[in-house]
Amino acid sequence: MFGFGYGEGFPDHSIASLEPIDNDKILIRTSAADVGQGVKTVAVQIASEVLKLAPEHFVLSEGDTHITQNAGSTSATRQTYFTGHAVKEAAEDLLGNIYHYASQEFVTNHPEMGTKEGRVFSHVDPDQEMTIWQLRDKLADEGIELKGRGTFFPKTFKPDPETGQAEKVYVGYTFHSQVVEVAVDTITGEVTVEKAYSAVDIGQAINPQAVEGQIEGGTAQGLGMALMEEQIIEKGRTLNPDMSRYLVPTAVDTPEVETILIENEDNDGPFGAKGVGEPAMIATAPAIINAIHDAIGVRFYELPVTPEKIKEALANKEQ
Amino acid sequence: MSKKYIGKAVKKVDAQAKVNGEAEYTEDLINEFSDLLHMRVLRAPHPHAYLKDIDISEALEVPGVVAVFTKADFPKLSEFGLIIKDQPVLVGKGEKMRFLGDAIALVVAENDAAALRGREKIKLDIEELEIVEDPLQAMEKGCIQIHEDHDIEVTHYLNKDMCCDNILSDNYIDRGDVEKGFAEADHIIEREYKTQFVEQLPLQVEKGIADYDNENEEIIIWAASQWIHDTQADIAQAMGVPKEKIRLKQPVIGGAFGKKEDISVHIHLALAARELKRPVVLLYNREESMIAQSKRHPQIIKHKTGVTREGKLTAWETEMIMDTGAYASSGPAVVRNAMFHCSGPYQVENVRAVCYAVYTNNTYCGAMRGFGATQMGFSYDNHMDVIATELDFDPFEFRLKNAFAIGSKTPGGEELNHGVNVKETIEAVHEASNWQEGDKDD
Repeated sequence: MFGFGYGEGFPDHSIASLEPIDNDKILIRTSAADVGQGVKTVAVQIASEVLKLAPEHFVLSEGDTHITQNAGSTSATRQTYFTGHAVKEAAEDLLGNIYHYASQEFVTNHPEMGTKEGRVFSHVDPDQEMTIWQLRDKLADEGIELKGRGTFFPKTFKPDPETGQAEKVYVGYTFHSQVVEVAVDTITGEVTVEKAYSAVDIGQAINPQAVEGQIEGGTAQGLGMALMEEQIIEKGRTLNPDMSRYLVPTAVDTPEVETILIENEDNDGPFGAKGVGEPAMIATAPAIINAIHDAIGVRFYELPVTPEKIKEALANKEQ
Repeated sequence: MSKKYIGKAVKKVDAQAKVNGEAEYTEDLINEFSDLLHMRVLRAPHPHAYLKDIDISEALEVPGVVAVFTKADFPKLSEFGLIIKDQPVLVGKGEKMRFLGDAIALVVAENDAAALRGREKIKLDIEELEIVEDPLQAMEKGCIQIHEDHDIEVTHYLNKDMCCDNILSDNYIDRGDVEKGFAEADHIIEREYKTQFVEQLPLQVEKGIADYDNENEEIIIWAASQWIHDTQADIAQAMGVPKEKIRLKQPVIGGAFGKKEDISVHIHLALAARELKRPVVLLYNREESMIAQSKRHPQIIKHKTGVTREGKLTAWETEMIMDTGAYASSGPAVVRNAMFHCSGPYQVENVRAVCYAVYTNNTYCGAMRGFGATQMGFSYDNHMDVIATELDFDPFEFRLKNAFAIGSKTPGGEELNHGVNVKETIEAVHEASNWQEGDKDD
């Protein structure tokens, strides 16, 4: 389980804007940091859906404090939810402006209009159509800037300091259950995670492949925490500050993960989406520890469970 | 209505540039500067000591060394930090170093080799103090105080009897009546769980370039940050300059996992670029990244749980002590996030929790994927399995019986009224894995 968004009453928001540039592109301005998880792709897919315009027409600004506004941090599993909402609102604002100004050109009203692949047109008179960029140029001559802006800033609730109770602690919760199959070598103490099955309550995956990627990466990182990773600090000094002594899983250590997406579109995120970055990792370590118990009858209470600890525990068990 | 682009495996928009090498990470920008200076940071030689004296004269004589900056060059510097401003930009004479990552001097040179040689020539005189190695030692009465000479804002301290000297924050949940819940239970199961220091280990370590724009009197910094506007604000307050004079530009980021929420290269680079009016680069190596930047908090977690013979949870009590290391970073938020996940996705009427974040002289801890809830998740789902084993419950049935549903309340008292499909996830993995009790290959 993971409650996403900063939570606990902390102000939490994201601002984004969209504007037509060049002759066939829309610029999405957001400062949301893409650390590889794919918030840029999520932003493009959401804007594409709202504007009915293919993803290749969108470009993203680089994060820059002087040209993009605050999107909050890439943390707390919050960017799909917060920046996703902000981009959706910005795209809807742009769409609303396109309809507003094009309807003046066409002398028609919104119900008789449509938009598709960068064109805005009248259903009544098929001759009446123009591209978003033509509309932008016309408006520029009149000194009007065609753009859309969106801010998502939901109310948050501060818990009582003595009881921790609040009306709402987090903006939403992502639930992830995982079953793992492990093999324990009782001679060497080595644990191999052979297969993982994940089911994640994601509301709506904006990009199912990216969600699966998060689950796979989270499983690898959870496996590392369960079985091998530990920065050893003694008297304030790190004894293993390099990747030859700090062990992390590689591709050969990582199991195949079968991921099932539970998509009930029952969340408040854009198109019903929930975040997945952090909940992707949480289930794995306890699943592995529980599977080790199932395999050899030894319960471990401290991480990581290294081969040495397994061998020691098995030796103690035999005595 | 069917959707055209949502729910589709659209190609990642930045994938092609990352594969063909066009993506520009911080290091790729180095070639764009012709007169780039190189920085190396001298860090604390001891995890808990006073800096008595510092001699940079020999370092300044090393050919190629342009400048050596110490706290004395910037008397007006303020401390920085994500939530509580408790971390010094530079440890000055008479001040305390609290972990091995604390910066003492910045050596700037025409090339990296000269910066390294210059750093070796700096002489320090320190007075060593007792090292606080773990949070239990830190909470003992009479333990040396890590921030005693340093007025920091603490987050709670509701329990007046506690030895608070090294406690950064104490946090509480009290819902329902746990005593009544334990009285209703047929079994009470209590266990302790421990987690370790984990390194986020993004492939790209901390790197940055700063330049000074003379015309606008603006410092421009190219360095990864998970939140550029927060990093900008923290740099500006530490340096005592208006926010608009600090411009952060985000290069392509080579992974973060929480580690790039904290300030790293940023303020050191900004100071040097402003003083020297030249671009400066600072590239950490892996060792420096692992020692000087945040870790996942180790937690000591005790769960005491009441359960009926039918397998219904009646009370859940959690005590958690978390090593936050030398500085607060995200600690005050991580400890609370862990606490609000103390009994996981399981419905319990009566919940009590107390969770502490405690200073030590270890590398400071901060954000990492799961933000406290990962450690708590290891403990509560291990604990659920312990209970199932002890009381001979089917592990799936036991979880399903207690899992959240519409109308359940979280430990924080929030009533869940939508988006609660825990049981579906449990049933889905049960089916997918063809789970059978006692299914083992020998």
